[in-house]
Amino acid sequence: MLMSAGSIFLASASGSVSLGWSEWLASILDSSGQHGELIWRLRLPRAMAAWVVGSMLALSGCLMQVLLRNPLADPYVLGVSGGAAFATLLGMVFGVAVAFLPWLAIIGALISILLVFGLARGTGPWSGTRLLLTGVVTASGWAALISLILSLTPDNSLRGMLFWLMGDLSYATLPWWSLAVLAGSFILTLGLARSLNVLAMGETTARLLGESTRHMLWLVYLLASILTATAVSIAGSIGFVGLIVPHLMRILVGSDHRILIPSATLFGGLFLVLSDTIARTLMSPQQLPVGVITALLGVPLFLLLLNRARLKGV
Amino acid sequence: MTSLVCQSLDVSIGGKPICNKLNLELAAGQFWALLGPNGIGKTTLLKCMAGLLEPDSGSVLLENQAMDKLPRRTIARLLGMLQQHTVYIFDASVLETAMTGRHPHLGYWEREGPQDRQKALDAIRAVDLEGFESRSVTRLSGGEARRLAFASLIVQEPAILLLDEPTNHLDMKHQIRIMDHVAHQVTSEHRSALIALHDVNLAARYCSHVLMLFGNGDWQAGPVNEQLVLANLERLYQCPVECVQTSTGQRFLPGS
Repeated sequence: MLMSAGSIFLASASGSVSLGWSEWLASILDSSGQHGELIWRLRLPRAMAAWVVGSMLALSGCLMQVLLRNPLADPYVLGVSGGAAFATLLGMVFGVAVAFLPWLAIIGALISILLVFGLARGTGPWSGTRLLLTGVVTASGWAALISLILSLTPDNSLRGMLFWLMGDLSYATLPWWSLAVLAGSFILTLGLARSLNVLAMGETTARLLGESTRHMLWLVYLLASILTATAVSIAGSIGFVGLIVPHLMRILVGSDHRILIPSATLFGGLFLVLSDTIARTLMSPQQLPVGVITALLGVPLFLLLLNRARLKGV
Repeated sequence: MTSLVCQSLDVSIGGKPICNKLNLELAAGQFWALLGPNGIGKTTLLKCMAGLLEPDSGSVLLENQAMDKLPRRTIARLLGMLQQHTVYIFDASVLETAMTGRHPHLGYWEREGPQDRQKALDAIRAVDLEGFESRSVTRLSGGEARRLAFASLIVQEPAILLLDEPTNHLDMKHQIRIMDHVAHQVTSEHRSALIALHDVNLAARYCSHVLMLFGNGDWQAGPVNEQLVLANLERLYQCPVECVQTSTGQRFLPGS
């Protein structure tokens, strides 16, 4: 069982690198064969950004699902992206330069994280329900503010905003520190993987098995939130990756986080690179929002695998 | 030998006292039954003894150290508890779940070795779940999930076992199997156990000592042959009780 899970992991890992790579190469050869400069300055950074964002969202999704002990949790459920979106759209309304928008997103996300953290923390013991409710209500608060901005915005700038909300990698650049965030959180999460397995069985069970769960859960919350905030600041709120990739990997490699975490992180990157490539090329020169593609790809893939798994009676 | 000691422990739930000034020692080789009517606070008391809840006053000592000063990891190596309900939300295999009992014994980056795996396989066999090793825990029946949770506890190898109604959802064969196993751990491995039960006769058959909670903080504790008598049981369950003599000792039935 463990061996097969291990081999599936290996396959998915090497698949992610080689497949992502060749797909990326092919897209270069198709659209801009002679423009080496363009590739190196536009395409490569964009593909890298897509990979990092996808990995972050998938990793964050894994963490959120354990944190809330809810298979439906995704990186955005606790309002991190809402805060980022509100701050960014506000920036767009006031004509802030595009280069500063990621910083606004980070600030918005951090405000949201601290708000939820402060409100849900209280004085009592950890309560997943309280965190979930605080986060979800905060998220709806942000959604209302976002709708308010959208309804007051003149039509000509609406399009850019909608693109950002659906997730867009066109202007994505990859700051060096985001790589550090991903690498750091990945190593930390991998070290915590066995604890995450225990935590997924419930807080009391985890305490009885020797985890000091309160510290652990806040750490998981902060890790997941920082990953989400960084991802959102790079590419807007790309949906679906954070929800579906962890589940796909659960079906393929099982629920042991020591295998799930690396495979979800690798596949998340691969998945978003593919989706972004399709978003760029499908109706080129027109670019589609990548969030639409992740959903269009992810839904059938997920349903297919779920159905297969059921037939096999796993 | 590891022991668990309650020193003038006051525990209450929602303002209702469960026990006042409870003094109790779970010594090695003792098998305690915790008896009391529904909702009297057996689970809360067990959680308090496991260090999951704070008592109102008094203290719980594990190896002569105050429980609230000990790190969870140290506690988990000495004390294990089977909770009353077992709910598995995420898919994991039966073997993986049984192996979680090794968690407190392993280091940060350490993986389970062949010995840990063997312990888990033995425990799975002991609870009659052989052949289910790679099955998902979300597809187990209530009784199977219960036995798996018990297997994880065996794999944890704690010197002190707290069990919250381990026999509920179980058929007669598996009730006996679980009780036999706990009794074996207590006598051969010199461990101690405290087991919340509703079946007085299981207590009569297996346990060496009994702790009874009467409500209002009243309690009584002692060796089973002194405590498990008609008067105490009638006071405990507020109903007439009859006693019958069997080849293996006294058994109790609801009277009329």
